[in-house]
Amino acid sequence: MKEILPEIEAWKKDGERVVVATVVATRRSAPRPIGTSLAISESGKMCGSVSGGCVESDVFENAQEVFRTGEPKLLSYGISDDLAWSVCLPCGGEIDVFVEPVE
Amino acid sequence: MSLVERLAALAASGDRGVLLTIVEGNGVGSNLLVLEGGETHGEGPDGAAALADEVIRRGRNRLLVLEDGAKVFAEVYGPPPRLFVYGAVDTAEALCRGAKLLGWRSIVADARGKFATRERIPSADELIVAWPEEAYAQVEPDHQTAIVVLTHDDKFDEPALIGALATEAFYVGALGSRRNQERRRERLLEAGVAEADIDGIMGPCGLDIGADTQEETALSILGEILAVRARREGGFLKQAKQRIHVEIE
Repeated sequence: MKEILPEIEAWKKDGERVVVATVVATRRSAPRPIGTSLAISESGKMCGSVSGGCVESDVFENAQEVFRTGEPKLLSYGISDDLAWSVCLPCGGEIDVFVEPVE
Repeated sequence: MSLVERLAALAASGDRGVLLTIVEGNGVGSNLLVLEGGETHGEGPDGAAALADEVIRRGRNRLLVLEDGAKVFAEVYGPPPRLFVYGAVDTAEALCRGAKLLGWRSIVADARGKFATRERIPSADELIVAWPEEAYAQVEPDHQTAIVVLTHDDKFDEPALIGALATEAFYVGALGSRRNQERRRERLLEAGVAEADIDGIMGPCGLDIGADTQEETALSILGEILAVRARREGGFLKQAKQRIHVEIE
């Protein structure tokens, strides 16, 4: 989340809660290298990415759950996943995305 | 200080560190920030803290799998790698332009004040007029620094290489024909440099891509530097057996 720290800091200064989703593993080819992350604010602002745009909306939905529960989630996307057909990673790879509230 | 504030401060400071986050296993979600030098903040995977130093030195984000099966994501913080070029020749300028493209910081040094000028090397982030020893003392090359020696002149090349080998630089390369490399080898041996250290010098430096112009030579050298950094051979991906993207070994 190194690249999007300024935005996260700004949102938190405004009193918003923030959830960050980070690509923590890739198998075969993947659109973004590990460590790439997407920040989501409680009011719905987004910054960064975890793929070429194909899984972001699903990650956003999961982030809402993380806001509710406060518990982190590890998500997997890719061809071995049922979600594959709906999120279709363009390069046929798989990615694991860790979604966590940030202090 | 919150974690985000601490990370922002770390990023701004130019110091190095690694943020360890348990993504699977006991204590999932806990973060431990380990700074280079051992200072830690937060609670997290003890088993991974021991690996922090190695992760920082490799300079790449990684997913670590601990002995108990827990998975820990390691995000590396720190300034971009540096390219130090000794010898303010045309190739130095091309190398600095290439370094810029990679987001690296470039430093060019030469004892000859006529060579190390802004007009000749406009793309260097830093220009130093100094003999190698003095330049190294100023720059302090570390494990995230690549050193390329380009002077073609023994009286500079020799101290530049001997000095480079005494640093932690992850790459030491030298331009020059095969014949020159052989001659240089003899001279370094005479100067008391260990044979294993001499073997570690990439010379002639660069990948075999048929480089001809300064720009092509610079790309060939930077390609080799990246390959060494990622511990790859630098061949055709089409013929590579390994994964395309560098990640976990």
